[in-house]
Amino acid sequence: MNNHYLSKVKIRLVGFLLFMFCTSLLSFGQAQTVTGVVTSEGEPVPGALVLIKGTQKGTVTDIDGTFSIDATAGNVLVVSFVGYTTKEVPVVGGQTTYNISLSLSTSDLSEVVVVGYGSQIKKEVTGAIQSIGGAQLRDMPVSTIAQKLQGRLAGVQINQTTGQPGRGMQVRIRGQLSVSGGSEPLYVVDGFPITGDINSINPDEIDDISVLKDAASTSLYGSRAANGVVLITTKKGKAGQTNVNLNVFTGFQKVPMRGRLEMMNAEEFAQFKKEYYEDAGQTVPQVFSDPSIYRGQNNDWYDALLQTAPISSYNLTLTSNKERVNTSAVVGVFDQKGVVVNTDFKRFSLRLNTDYQLSDKVNIGVNVAPNYVFDNTPRSDGDRGTGIIFNALHTWPVMPIRDENGELTLFNRFPAETGNIFAYPNWVRSAQELTNETTRLNLLTTSYVEWKPIKNLSFRSTFNVELNNSRFFFSNPSTATSAINVAIPTVASSIRETNNNMSWLNENIATYRNTIGDHNFEMLAGFSNQRFRLDIYRVQSDTYADDRILTTQAAVNINRGGTFNNVQEWSLTSVFSRFTYSYKGKYLFTASARGDGSSRFGSNNRWGIFPSTSVGWVLSDEEFLKGNSTISFAKIRSSYGITGNNNIGNYTQYALVNNTVNVAFGNTLTPGAAVTSLDNPNLGWETTAQMDVGFDLGFLDDRISFGYDYFVKNTTNLLYAVQIPQESGFTNFNDNIGEIKFWGHEFQINAVPTTGAFRWTVNANLSFNRNRVLELADGIDRVYGSFHITQVGKPFAQFYGLKKLGNYANAEDLANSPKIPGRSTVGSIKLEDFNGDGVITFGGDRDDRQIIGNPFPDFTYGITNNFNWKNWDMSIVGSGSHGQDLYMRHLYSLANLDGVFNMVRKAKDRFRSPDNPGEGIFGTTVGGGNVTGIERDWPNSNFVWDASFFTIRNITLGYTFTKLPKAIRSARLYASAQNVLVFTNYWGGQNPEVSMQGNGQGDGGNLSPGVDLGPYPVPRTITFGANINF
Amino acid sequence: MKKYSILLLVLLMTFTSCDDFLTIVPETQLSSATFFKTENDFVQAVNGAYAPLRAYYNGPAWLLGELHSDNTFYMRNVLFGAVENAENLADFSVPVSNGTTPNTNVLGAWRGLYLIIARANQVLAPIDAVNFNQDSKNNVKGQALFLRAFAYFHLVRYFGKVPLHLTPVPGREGAALPLSEEAAVFDQIIKDLTDAIPLLPQKSAQLPGRVTQGAARTLLGDVFIYRKRWADAEQVLAPVVSSGQYSLMSSYAMAFPKNTTNKNNAESVFEIQFREGPDGLQGNFLYQHLPYPLTVAEVRSLFNTSNPQPLDGQGNNIPTPDIIAAYEPGDLRKDASIMFITVSGRPGPNKTTPIIKKFQDNHAQHNNHGVNWPVYRYAEVLLLLAEAQNEQGKTGEALGLLNQVRSRAGLAASTAAGQTQVREAIFKERRVELAFENKRWFDIIRTDRIQEIIVPYGQRIVANPLDYYFPPIPGAVPRNNVFTNLDKFYPYPAAESDLSPFF
Repeated sequence: MNNHYLSKVKIRLVGFLLFMFCTSLLSFGQAQTVTGVVTSEGEPVPGALVLIKGTQKGTVTDIDGTFSIDATAGNVLVVSFVGYTTKEVPVVGGQTTYNISLSLSTSDLSEVVVVGYGSQIKKEVTGAIQSIGGAQLRDMPVSTIAQKLQGRLAGVQINQTTGQPGRGMQVRIRGQLSVSGGSEPLYVVDGFPITGDINSINPDEIDDISVLKDAASTSLYGSRAANGVVLITTKKGKAGQTNVNLNVFTGFQKVPMRGRLEMMNAEEFAQFKKEYYEDAGQTVPQVFSDPSIYRGQNNDWYDALLQTAPISSYNLTLTSNKERVNTSAVVGVFDQKGVVVNTDFKRFSLRLNTDYQLSDKVNIGVNVAPNYVFDNTPRSDGDRGTGIIFNALHTWPVMPIRDENGELTLFNRFPAETGNIFAYPNWVRSAQELTNETTRLNLLTTSYVEWKPIKNLSFRSTFNVELNNSRFFFSNPSTATSAINVAIPTVASSIRETNNNMSWLNENIATYRNTIGDHNFEMLAGFSNQRFRLDIYRVQSDTYADDRILTTQAAVNINRGGTFNNVQEWSLTSVFSRFTYSYKGKYLFTASARGDGSSRFGSNNRWGIFPSTSVGWVLSDEEFLKGNSTISFAKIRSSYGITGNNNIGNYTQYALVNNTVNVAFGNTLTPGAAVTSLDNPNLGWETTAQMDVGFDLGFLDDRISFGYDYFVKNTTNLLYAVQIPQESGFTNFNDNIGEIKFWGHEFQINAVPTTGAFRWTVNANLSFNRNRVLELADGIDRVYGSFHITQVGKPFAQFYGLKKLGNYANAEDLANSPKIPGRSTVGSIKLEDFNGDGVITFGGDRDDRQIIGNPFPDFTYGITNNFNWKNWDMSIVGSGSHGQDLYMRHLYSLANLDGVFNMVRKAKDRFRSPDNPGEGIFGTTVGGGNVTGIERDWPNSNFVWDASFFTIRNITLGYTFTKLPKAIRSARLYASAQNVLVFTNYWGGQNPEVSMQGNGQGDGGNLSPGVDLGPYPVPRTITFGANINF
Repeated sequence: MKKYSILLLVLLMTFTSCDDFLTIVPETQLSSATFFKTENDFVQAVNGAYAPLRAYYNGPAWLLGELHSDNTFYMRNVLFGAVENAENLADFSVPVSNGTTPNTNVLGAWRGLYLIIARANQVLAPIDAVNFNQDSKNNVKGQALFLRAFAYFHLVRYFGKVPLHLTPVPGREGAALPLSEEAAVFDQIIKDLTDAIPLLPQKSAQLPGRVTQGAARTLLGDVFIYRKRWADAEQVLAPVVSSGQYSLMSSYAMAFPKNTTNKNNAESVFEIQFREGPDGLQGNFLYQHLPYPLTVAEVRSLFNTSNPQPLDGQGNNIPTPDIIAAYEPGDLRKDASIMFITVSGRPGPNKTTPIIKKFQDNHAQHNNHGVNWPVYRYAEVLLLLAEAQNEQGKTGEALGLLNQVRSRAGLAASTAAGQTQVREAIFKERRVELAFENKRWFDIIRTDRIQEIIVPYGQRIVANPLDYYFPPIPGAVPRNNVFTNLDKFYPYPAAESDLSPFF
């Protein structure tokens, strides 16, 4: 049926194309014609819509602001344009020329805001919602939607944790966190909560993004709403208009030198090695006896991985809304190479949105959006031994990248007596030769039928389907590896994985809205069913005869642990209802509730109810404020509600039998099985109760508007695999436990400092988010992360380790201070004896560790400036985050004082002797791993550094042409720079937004945020683009 | 109005089918509710109970049972600091705080052994209520009882008092149990094995590698000897010798299973089954029992794999000068047990380093071998029986058994005479016959010889660090806290103590 439908759409589309080219060439001159010019402050307004009220008849002003349209006396012309107040002009008999002046609109209060299951006039919104139009985001040369939103939303922290194209965006609404459930918001595209990757969607398809933050706005999404909801509305035609838009940009990306982690160069490293042996009273190996021979011979392994990479995007958008048919089509090609060699990200996308008005009572609509994403990323990110970037950083700069013939070396190893304990392949080869590609084919379709049997009542039924097919291919030829200490040739290996998922959703909604006197109300009720199935097929194989054919059948070994298939399914049945009421548009009330039944919840706990309510009062409509010359708008609002998080895994409630616990008897593989988890029929969702209080103010005719929200949330019943003693044979018990309190303040200000020829608008936001763990499970007051603790009474996931007091300054200091038996020496790291037992210990609950840092910021902020002057426009977007720390985990190698790896340049200034104690950051090298190992292996405050930053995300400068051929309605050229500058004192690497063991992409990462292992760098991107309307 | 009724009907239909719609059981995994119904389920489940033995013998068993004795030591590599978990066992400095230790090897042993117990309990709890072939049921039950007793016997010797789990844990409640007295644990071990013996078939009637009646008798004999119940030990062990199921291999070297061959041979009473390849059933203990660093060429000459890789880190389980000296002149077992290799990356002039040879064998892939680990060999049965007899004054019979073992090693009959001398002779024989088979620490504690053996051993190391493989580098000497923890029992693992209210 879909195919049939699709072909119909295609035919229509071809028709549209022809039609549009014709209409744009024809003039509208007719006998009974009214003409005119639309202006504002004396300047013509091109592109303004002139519509005859109550009809679909309309036209658009040309570049001089002129229009002509058939009209009869008594008609009313409705003239509108974005950013201007809409004006209505009655057509009077005998007058054929109308000069219409539009006034700049400074207020967006009459705008319609997309909310869950509907829309609302902004003035009457009682929840905490922020929406952004797609046009505001159009010029930014980035691959993901989240990147475009950075810095624009109050209360939403968006971090780019890695520079890998199309990946690594972490979105946290109001600081929401979970111990082991997911923390990413729910993405709803045209009413359909999607299960696939939001980054597959072409940002140019987006018309509007609404971010729902408080419980009243989100509770209609019930058990999936606790992390916040992002509603995405795709493009539709504007009434009476036909438009063809071409948006193209191309440019390049480069990693700035500024901000890179400063490593020793070859000469500095050789000098360090020389000093290392001298300080230990040992013979200096020949290769390091004269460091000056390495002058100018540096091998910067990190830089060798990088390249200047092109980025381009092409989008053609057709929209038309005429004669009961509203269609839009967006065709997009996005092509990005990465700044690390062999990175590729391509997206081909198409979207066809069509609505038909079958009769006055029935509407139907279908949106079909297929896209294809190809992505190859070298194994850049990861710990030592797995991530190529970390590996490159810690490789000796005296090891040659290229041989005397300019060819990339194959393998580097220095003799054992130089302290080179690991052999290294050439990382540039690794990046070039390893294949790590994913191709995704996605199809998102949404369709609806809407029936309005009587005035004010509508029934809407939707059927939505999402199909995702992704193929992953990893291949490791025998000439390359991403691991250290692996001899070349190595064992060639490959992984093939196919994921197929399908999700369908049927929703049935009845809406009744009416106005009786001063009472406006709307009632909505509905029910829905959604089902999801994912099939995973994976084969991992190794040992190949020929590197060119890394197929499964050519492998000698099929790796049993990495070869499996798996099915993941869930279902969700829901009923929901909402009642909205306003009196004279100034006393506002909303109540809603959703009931969710889910296959994920235990059999004793299958249904959850998620209610909410909100109230608002528009004070500025009251007599005492009406006509106030300063305060033009004032509203206070408050909401309370309960939402859930159902990201608890699909089969977590069941006790599962693992039937691959195999054994060998007499060298014969024999199948075995074991019960590997405990069941919990009471398992349920995570519950978040949230209260929000806020107000919105407008001053000076809304030239300045100000918004404030305070929220407090309590999340309980957190999904957690409670660790149980393993004498039970199990590691944990999946349960709903604990309580975390979150609270925060959000400020937003929008201002128009100047109007007229030079127009300047500013949007700024500032957010404070806090949290505290109030309770964990019975008998458990702490949960450890990688270098973190989540402890009752403290904020979530704090850095946890020993506190560094300095280095033992001399023998006296060593003698008089607590130390580590058998390990501490003069010049070694001096740690605080936190438990006061006289010795320094690490391990268990009662050792000397304490909280040593906070990965969460004190506040985050963003500011966007837009300037317009004559034909020029400019925007500057910046955002920052203040007070958070990062854990420089890579220092465990990059500051390994045994000289086995390349080191950070700061390690030059380490402890050499009591008379030469250095900067105090790094201790003595004498004593070998027994002494130096403490500093690198025991988590301590030396790893924790402030990572406050302010980033100029984007600067765009555009010029709109006025003298154009008739076929072109408007044309704008622009230049855009992304990630222009980062201001920070963080010295551990190029990206202060990094979070490599908790990027929210998988479970469990929440407990270990803010860890830096040297990620894929975030480039500075400079592009040039054109935006042309036909 | 009709239209509304239709809508209502659709609504109702949706909800009546709700329960089905909302019940989704995993398609690619069984759940415990549907398992334990058939003979095959129980056979698979008891197989699963063997599985944790691999990880235990690949690591914790030799770390706690052999490296923690005077037979082997570690080889200090100054470039590596993060190795204290093995070091602390080798040099008797296991840290203790409130009776617990953060040592990860102690933790690994605890968790691995309790995993065996839990899986055995999963089999034993429901098995009587399910109808299937009685012989098969007896066999499965016997194996499960053996495995549970085997794990508890290791735990009770490592820790003394331990929690005694005999039924599957249902949830968070009951996951932790109070510590049971040592005697109670031993009573349960003896009961389980006494029950298991009649249920289990003899070796000739059992699939190779599975627990046999002979294995259960040997284990029970070992338990009785640990408890000094000499007569009981003799009674349970004698039928193993008389069964005709076992014999000594013609040469000592032949007693040890190879990578793919000679597994479960005539001398084997119970051995841990490994299998090389990509199926996850392999071991890599040969790689852990090496001095580091080793070059690719040195690794290749040891194992002849197709993809040798360089090795670095810290070597463990290196034979001490003490064990090398313990062999009598002419003892064929010395060259079969220990070999010397050249470690070119070893600091200082002395590059020649001893390693364990008895498990050594070539294999295909680096760090992946199928060499089985011998737990009980017939030679040990003879020595256990000899000890049980000698302690009851049957010195002559004991000497006969002892000399069987000596004779295979190319040695003359023992000259020991009288109960005391024979006792010493057996103790000494056990050391060399069973060297590197994780018997030494248990022998030392059950004969109360920590002061006699370990204390002077520690003094020798501190006095002559170069003899014990410390590199000739300034500062690379034994730490100042070595040989400070000479307790018979290991402290409880801290990570488990943190979760249990009972210790």
